[in-house]
Amino acid sequence: MKEIKANIINRIKANFSDAKEKNDFAYNRLDFTVQKETIPSILFYLKDEMGFIHLSHISCVDWIEEGEFELVFILWSPEEKIKVFVKTRIDRENPVMDNIDMIWRQANTYERELREMYGIQFTGLVAPDEFILEDWQGPPPMRRDFDTEAYADETFFNRPGREDAQDVREAITKRSGEDVPDFAKKYSR
Amino acid sequence: MNDKNSQKIVDFISNWARKHSIWVLAYGTGCGAIEIPPTMTSRYDAERLGVRGAATPRQADVLLITGYLTTKSLKRVIRVYEQMQDPKYVIGFGSCTINGGMYYDSYNTINALDRYIPVDVYINGCMPRPEAVLSGFGKLQQLIAEGKATGATKYKENLEWYRANQKKVIPNWVMPEYNW
Amino acid sequence: MQKNTQDKMREKATTLYFGPQHPGITGNMMIRLKVEGDTIVKATTEVGYLHRGFEKLQEKRNWLQSFTVLCRFCVPEPDPVEESYARAVELLEGREVPERAKYIRVMMLELARMGSYMLWYGGQNAALGLYTMGQWSVGDRNYILDLFEELTGGRVYHMYIWPGGVRRDLPEGFTDKVLRTMDYFEKRLKDYDDLMFSSSIFQKRTKGVAVIPKEKAVEWGVVGPVLRGSGIHSDIRIDDPYEVYDKLDFIVPTEEGGDIWSRALVRRQEVRQSIRIIRQVIDKMPKGEYYNQIPNPQKWALPKGDAYARTEAVRGEVGMYIVSDGSIHPRRTHFRGAAYVHGITLLENLLVGENIADVSAIMNSLGTCPPEIER
Repeated sequence: MKEIKANIINRIKANFSDAKEKNDFAYNRLDFTVQKETIPSILFYLKDEMGFIHLSHISCVDWIEEGEFELVFILWSPEEKIKVFVKTRIDRENPVMDNIDMIWRQANTYERELREMYGIQFTGLVAPDEFILEDWQGPPPMRRDFDTEAYADETFFNRPGREDAQDVREAITKRSGEDVPDFAKKYSR
Repeated sequence: MNDKNSQKIVDFISNWARKHSIWVLAYGTGCGAIEIPPTMTSRYDAERLGVRGAATPRQADVLLITGYLTTKSLKRVIRVYEQMQDPKYVIGFGSCTINGGMYYDSYNTINALDRYIPVDVYINGCMPRPEAVLSGFGKLQQLIAEGKATGATKYKENLEWYRANQKKVIPNWVMPEYNW
Repeated sequence: MQKNTQDKMREKATTLYFGPQHPGITGNMMIRLKVEGDTIVKATTEVGYLHRGFEKLQEKRNWLQSFTVLCRFCVPEPDPVEESYARAVELLEGREVPERAKYIRVMMLELARMGSYMLWYGGQNAALGLYTMGQWSVGDRNYILDLFEELTGGRVYHMYIWPGGVRRDLPEGFTDKVLRTMDYFEKRLKDYDDLMFSSSIFQKRTKGVAVIPKEKAVEWGVVGPVLRGSGIHSDIRIDDPYEVYDKLDFIVPTEEGGDIWSRALVRRQEVRQSIRIIRQVIDKMPKGEYYNQIPNPQKWALPKGDAYARTEAVRGEVGMYIVSDGSIHPRRTHFRGAAYVHGITLLENLLVGENIADVSAIMNSLGTCPPEIER
């Protein structure tokens, strides 16, 4: 495992000068952080030349304190049996990224969802506008400055609770006359 | 001929026939739909009560809302409900129809089903066991026999109130008029 | 501009909505079909009728509360989702799981796999008009749900596999009941063979339909029994083993062909392998602890970092990616189900050129389950 990881690190660093690696995992995983312009070429290289033919996941994390989105691509090689995470950071105010669905066709679906949920524009993405939400007029919902509970309180009608607001244990005790058992006493309301 | 008495006899017979042949529309709207196949198959056989599946809204009697409804799904449910013919009933299945359940703070699911379409019977649970579903159908049969399952007439009489609630949640309202 | 014959043909096409309310659809989704006569010319999947915004809800709940929410990601089979979450949290924190808990987890996963295959038997045959199979197999699935109810308290949603182990130990006499249920199922599988796989109607309607070629399968992101039906030997339980699968002895069936018939044969073999795995697990289960106690959940914070854990569910690869920023709430949990790829890009391309009558059978054989796609 160590030789395989060292081999991959050497080849990537030889071809892409801005790749920084992170190699302190005890299991079969390796991380690379690159600039966002290198992403299409490093993914092409990993898929065609190094055997990472399976795209497992594309995800996005919102680091609102630093003003950036972090995109993560997770690849798997069935030959060497190792996972590679390729990470990059893009600006939060005006998020633009290159489209990679010519490498893997299923990346189209992941990119549609990120466009709808975070507002990231993928240049060259050909897909209908709406994917999951219909007639949505608010901000992109997965951003951290969107408060879902306040939105739900304001838009949807909430049925009010019981006026007497009984505790379940007291209600059962009053009705049947038996004591509250010991295991139920230690939780407060 | 005394009209009131013969009306009572006609009502009794027609309610008896209706309660023993309730056809459920084939529409699984939420996660509660996973307990419908066990209810309809060999162990908890619901067909002995006369309950079977129907393929289209025009042939169905009851609309079983199994669980939560998103706003996108609510628009289709309203359209399907208005296409069903009288007499029609709605059963709210699971605790998400009562007060929102575990998705009470989600931006996409509605919390109280009663404001949008009229509900006759609620079955609580998450999710309800097949025995609970059968007892819910039994309660619906009892309401039909007494003549109290009047959700459809309530909808026709209070149509403006229901429409105002629906339009508040569904912004793009492109639906046919309901005038039958 | 002159129109060629293709354009003129497409102008005669009508649009059908294989819509949310339909007796032949597996869940609550819509496929917009453009048909010309009886042949499909273009298909578009539309999802979004079941979107609850789970990942947004989990940002307000702490690490243990979000475990109770996420078993509803994949409705017919909730155990692999709990397993992926538990393993990802354990990888991030470096928590050890006792041996007995690992064996119990494997038993739960294989029982859930068998239950989900019983539902698949019903769905695949009902799409072709053979309704008896659904009555038998969904009725037999109730015996597995009885076992789940005795162990965890719930028939469908268990909330049993959590970070650190499992929630309760096995009660007295439970393993005998499991073995008796496995004996019963082995007898029933012969009946299923006689009814379903020997039926000439089933064979005629499924051979040669919706073929996925072998060279393109991995590139299109196909996983699970669909990939094994196209001739590629790939299974997470063997390639990237987790829990105690590397100590158990089982085979992973593959079939050449790539059509619905090959996938049905693969699934038929996997039920038998599941029974074999459960018998070995009960044989080898050690005694000991079943839970590595987590600290007070109101104050349990994971260290900074991220982790990704994959599990082999019934439909394919199920993965959970979690990110922690050192607080008691998750920063991001992102779930990926197998139907995310099978239901959208793969289905839209497979349906071109098929009949309308086969759409339901193709959806069932790919295992499209809409709650996984849109969470």
